[in-house]
Amino acid sequence: MAEKKKKKRNISFTIGAILVIIVVVIFLISLVYMPHDPNLMNLTHKFLKPGEDELYRLGTDHFGRDILSRLMFGARHVLLVGVVSVAIGAVIGFILGAAAGMLKGLPSQIIMRVMDGLISFPSILLAMMMITIIGRGTKGSIVAVALFMVPSFARLVYSLVLDNKELLFVKAAKSYGMTNRQILFKHLIPIILPRLITQFTASIGAAIIIETSLSFLGLGVQAPNASWGLMLADAKKNFLVYPYLAYAPGIAIAITVLGFNLLGDGLNEVLLNKKREKISFIKKRRTSK
Amino acid sequence: MSNYIFKRVRSAIAVLFVVSIITFLIVKLIPGDPAQFILGTDATPQALADMRAALGLDQPWYVQYFSWLKDILHFNLGRSYIFGEQVSVLIQQRLPVTMSLTLFSMTIVVIFSVILGIISAIKKNSPVDYFSRIIMQLGSALPSFWIGMLLIVYFGLRLRAFPVSGFVPASAGWSAHIHSIVLPGTVLAIAEIGLAIRTVRTSMLGALQEDFMDMARVNGLRNRVIYFKYALRSALVAPVNVWGMQFAKLIGGTAVVETVFALPGLGRLVVVAVEQRDVVLLQGIVMFVTILVILITLAVDIGIMFINPRIRLGTQGE
Repeated sequence: MAEKKKKKRNISFTIGAILVIIVVVIFLISLVYMPHDPNLMNLTHKFLKPGEDELYRLGTDHFGRDILSRLMFGARHVLLVGVVSVAIGAVIGFILGAAAGMLKGLPSQIIMRVMDGLISFPSILLAMMMITIIGRGTKGSIVAVALFMVPSFARLVYSLVLDNKELLFVKAAKSYGMTNRQILFKHLIPIILPRLITQFTASIGAAIIIETSLSFLGLGVQAPNASWGLMLADAKKNFLVYPYLAYAPGIAIAITVLGFNLLGDGLNEVLLNKKREKISFIKKRRTSK
Repeated sequence: MSNYIFKRVRSAIAVLFVVSIITFLIVKLIPGDPAQFILGTDATPQALADMRAALGLDQPWYVQYFSWLKDILHFNLGRSYIFGEQVSVLIQQRLPVTMSLTLFSMTIVVIFSVILGIISAIKKNSPVDYFSRIIMQLGSALPSFWIGMLLIVYFGLRLRAFPVSGFVPASAGWSAHIHSIVLPGTVLAIAEIGLAIRTVRTSMLGALQEDFMDMARVNGLRNRVIYFKYALRSALVAPVNVWGMQFAKLIGGTAVVETVFALPGLGRLVVVAVEQRDVVLLQGIVMFVTILVILITLAVDIGIMFINPRIRLGTQGE
């Protein structure tokens, strides 16, 4: 049984890692080579189906732009918004959660109440309010997605800090006169980090879904720039006649999100098992003395 | 028991208060002068100043906040700039679309998750079990607008089984009404159903291992009675919680699906409000939907108390 379980978690980690690596490689290739200029319009070549023309492997859209090149270019945007917004959200969430966990009383209450409030907004509504403030575009989507990520990271860090604050070596450190900040960085962060990493990876998938939804609604990255959500919004105008327009960008989104989600699941198993062993080791040592 | 209800209501009111402050402050940050927006660019400075005074914009922010809060409590959400109509009227017009959409998809989610969840709990590692795992991964990875477009192509265009867009109200006949929301409702359900099946499965597995299940078996009760009367009731707590969360999430998350299927619901209205920067409309819808979400969550929590004897007797949920 244990053998079987081990095998299973490797499968989700492996598939996830492969999918993410594929997307990252496509992103890297797009920096040095793309078959065509992704924004180059050529109306004599519009609505070429995939495979119809050697030069346009995945076909062309309603402006005759090469879908493969736009797809490659779009990978940059998706990864940029996905990783950067989750990183911003994680850092702010970490600071707020750690502050609320280490401090007691009113400040901690206020922080966590605001987080409860933020988490009660249906995700896309909060994002859309942020877009109205900042304006449509890449910056707007990054801030919108980052704000959405803050409360879940803050809650996670808060509960982890509270859980681990009572461990014996943390109490010992406190009795030696270490400050809250020293305890946080020296003792708590190493314990919290694995959970943060898995949450980070798993959140990228959700971030990409929100970003592509915003782009699809016309509130994210603006034309003529290529993003997968925007490509689907363009496809929506013509897909009743040319359904192939919708296939490639949708598959690209699905592969990327699935990759990050599976990678998060896999990491969760790997890192948390390791942590569990460590904690039980500490506990065992404590009880034997 | 009443203590528990009191605590839940108090925390819901606290969250509502925080949400109203956040919404108010975010909307205050939106650039642009509402007076200018209403009167247009060729308004005289005097007219602008009068308009600001009429809107109460010359008051300090906390005065504005409390008068806004008072209006909301009277369900007066203000007048939309672009529609020139009361926001509450606009919401009343659009709410039935969003509501029937979410109710339909929650019906799918509940029925399928109960059936598939129980089957996969009783028969572990069966095809149903794998199916629920796969659909959970795919449901969270496939963007709903894309699934919507694929369904339109196959069921709307190729098979011509369902209309590809538009909404038929229930007053025009139930079958046409259901027909018009089958595809969008299914799209919403696909994203949620995996989690629901997994939750039913996990809590059913937990319930089957409880002591009272052994007791029921020892007493010689039949399998059907054991599964449905004892296990299911105890196992329903977590799923009802998850369904409530999903229902609340769907009400605020229909913008994308309504756009794909051209449905005139609340979600579309939000998109229009953001596109046109109609601050009053945006603020009104966001507050309305968020209040609805918080109330649903509260109702679910209190409802769970009645299924779960442990919370009712006050041994849990403190």
